[in-house]
Amino acid sequence: MNLKKSVLLGALLAAAAFASAQQKVINVLLWDDPYPKALVAMLPEFEKATNIKVNIEMLQPPQVLTKTAVAVTATSTDYDVVGIDEGNVPVFASLLQPFAQWPAGKVYPKTDPKSVTPKMLSIGTWNSVQLGIPINGNLYVWMTRKDLIENPTYKTQFKAKYGYDLGIPKTFKELLEMGTFFHENGIAAGFGPFNGGPAGVLSEAVFMWESHGTKFIDYTGGTFKVVLDEAKAIEGMEFYKKLMAISPKGAETMAHVERQAAFAADPKGVFSMFIWPAQIAAYEDPNKSLVAGKIAYSAPPAGPRGQAAVTGAWAICIPKASKNQDAAAEFVYWWSSKAVADKLVQANTIPARTESLTNPAFVSSKPWLPALAASMNVAASRPRFKEIGQVQDVVKKYWIMGITGQMPTKDAVQAIVRETNDILKKAGY
Amino acid sequence: MTFSRRRATSPSGNAASGNGTGSYGSPVPFLIPAFLIVFAVLIFPIVFSFVVSLFDWPLSAGGGTRRFVGAGNYVELVRDKEFWNSLRLQLGFIFIAIPIEIALGLGAALLLNREFRGGRVVRALILLPVFFLPIVSGMTWRFMLQPRYGALNNFLLSLGAPEITWLGHPTYAYAAVIVQDVWRMWPFVFMLLYAGLVGIPADILEAAEIDGATSTKRLTKIILPLLYPTILTALLLRIIDALRIFSEVYVMTEGGPGMATTLFSLYTHRQAFGYMKVGMSSAMAIFLLVISILFAVTLVRKNMSLEKLEEQGENR
Repeated sequence: MNLKKSVLLGALLAAAAFASAQQKVINVLLWDDPYPKALVAMLPEFEKATNIKVNIEMLQPPQVLTKTAVAVTATSTDYDVVGIDEGNVPVFASLLQPFAQWPAGKVYPKTDPKSVTPKMLSIGTWNSVQLGIPINGNLYVWMTRKDLIENPTYKTQFKAKYGYDLGIPKTFKELLEMGTFFHENGIAAGFGPFNGGPAGVLSEAVFMWESHGTKFIDYTGGTFKVVLDEAKAIEGMEFYKKLMAISPKGAETMAHVERQAAFAADPKGVFSMFIWPAQIAAYEDPNKSLVAGKIAYSAPPAGPRGQAAVTGAWAICIPKASKNQDAAAEFVYWWSSKAVADKLVQANTIPARTESLTNPAFVSSKPWLPALAASMNVAASRPRFKEIGQVQDVVKKYWIMGITGQMPTKDAVQAIVRETNDILKKAGY
Repeated sequence: MTFSRRRATSPSGNAASGNGTGSYGSPVPFLIPAFLIVFAVLIFPIVFSFVVSLFDWPLSAGGGTRRFVGAGNYVELVRDKEFWNSLRLQLGFIFIAIPIEIALGLGAALLLNREFRGGRVVRALILLPVFFLPIVSGMTWRFMLQPRYGALNNFLLSLGAPEITWLGHPTYAYAAVIVQDVWRMWPFVFMLLYAGLVGIPADILEAAEIDGATSTKRLTKIILPLLYPTILTALLLRIIDALRIFSEVYVMTEGGPGMATTLFSLYTHRQAFGYMKVGMSSAMAIFLLVISILFAVTLVRKNMSLEKLEEQGENR
């Protein structure tokens, strides 16, 4: 009897050891926000279907960059899958396996690039080589406090003063006037700027400049060049300076945490500002937000030369040095599949998959989806090249000085142009 | 039975020679482990950093492409105005924060260098900020200085003062970084100086008092000169620590607004992980090492010259 038990136990242990030897394990490095968190909840489904164990590590975006830089090399990597912010795809391009060489999936079919939202597809590409799958449809979507613009008293007062109806701001002029109305009357802050870090500041600068009709850096004649129109750039900076005057205290350093606190946790709140759609889940969570269900979504208001919605998406890539490319690719194919994308939309996140974003079944219950589609039509990207980190610091330094009055806006714009040109020249462009 | 450290007797009864090479053989094999450890944890990283600083080594190349540029990174640093700006901010930080810490530490040590009811508790409580992790201290100060919800502004508003965006203004943000450091580290200086004060023989002070020396005279002519070596030690430890300040500033301001609080260490980090220039970052690290050594050598020599003077005084 004892012998039988021992044999049975031994067989079970051997079977378990065999099964565990068969199971592949992949390490995944992602940014920390509601979107990857929603994915984590679905992982058991993938692990059951493929017998691949997925270890996901989520860090704040700057730490993702740092960790990728240290952990992924030409010959070794700690991660089989890495999320790379669109601006940094050129930085790591030489270390990433081109998508064309990703192995076919055994359980899930290889992702069809055509299923990716067209405006997002380019962010996973560098030098005409697709290196990763753009995974989230992150670009500027505008939020306006519905409860404020529908308030009859405010509507009457505003119309009496400005001669037109209070509503979702469609132009910069309306944004400023409506924001000023709420700010001056002590009802809410008029605007919520994004001045948290170099990448954030560059987003706002590009948003202003594109809306005023000028690009910052362009790839022309086989090289990168500063093409900023000085007059339009100053106009854009001056307008942002006016928005800063109707923003909450501490606007000079407002990052996502402070913006969310001001908009969604402060009883006074903020009238109108942009949001990365990846963060909508937090703003619409009644446990975290005082304004859940009270937000109207739209494309950004138009500047004097039109609309612009800055993109801020992530590409999912596989390092060349990964020893588990089959399993890594399988994971990405599953993640970018329609079934998972649909579930992610239902979890209030934004996958970069057109058919899920435009699915009528979701559009009726997710009011930000039509706004997202409208923003897609006016998408604008920040410049991308290896030296972007240095350029971001230059823009951050002088943009903040310009919009806070520490330096005349003209001088600030000229300094940005001069120092960016120096960086490009030194880099051999 | 006596044992002399200088002349031990071997088991065979022969005296081991004083040069250490007697019947015990060469001491070198015994030194090798210690030497290897020192080499691995101290010398190798410095030499490696120096070698890396001679290369143009983009981190984005993932350890692949690197190009020998000799002193190129150092030349580029010297031409980089942000480098000088970060150095200026770093040195400014040291020359403002540390004197304040010394003054506060010394003042508190003099004040508390007496027995009174609850004295031990007070001295222990004063030390609390030292035990804060720098990153926690930075986060705490960031929240305290938040213009709308922060404790400081709430207090100032209750006094009728205007709302101030402490971390949004270059000068205030720089001052806030300094104040945070002073708050966290002055008790450390207090601890050292208090220990120094306790070590001053009471009879000297009593003799001075009997001779009619006023309290000011006792402070300036006896206490401070006797405490001087301890002050120098505190200064040395604080300067070396202040040169490495990073995490608290990183979480408080991330170097902003603009580049207003991008101290030397933050700019070194930015070079490595923002611009992906490991060679430049290493060159900055070597530069910082040289500055640290300069400070250390100056202060240690000063301390040694004091000791020499004391010895001469004793011999007279």
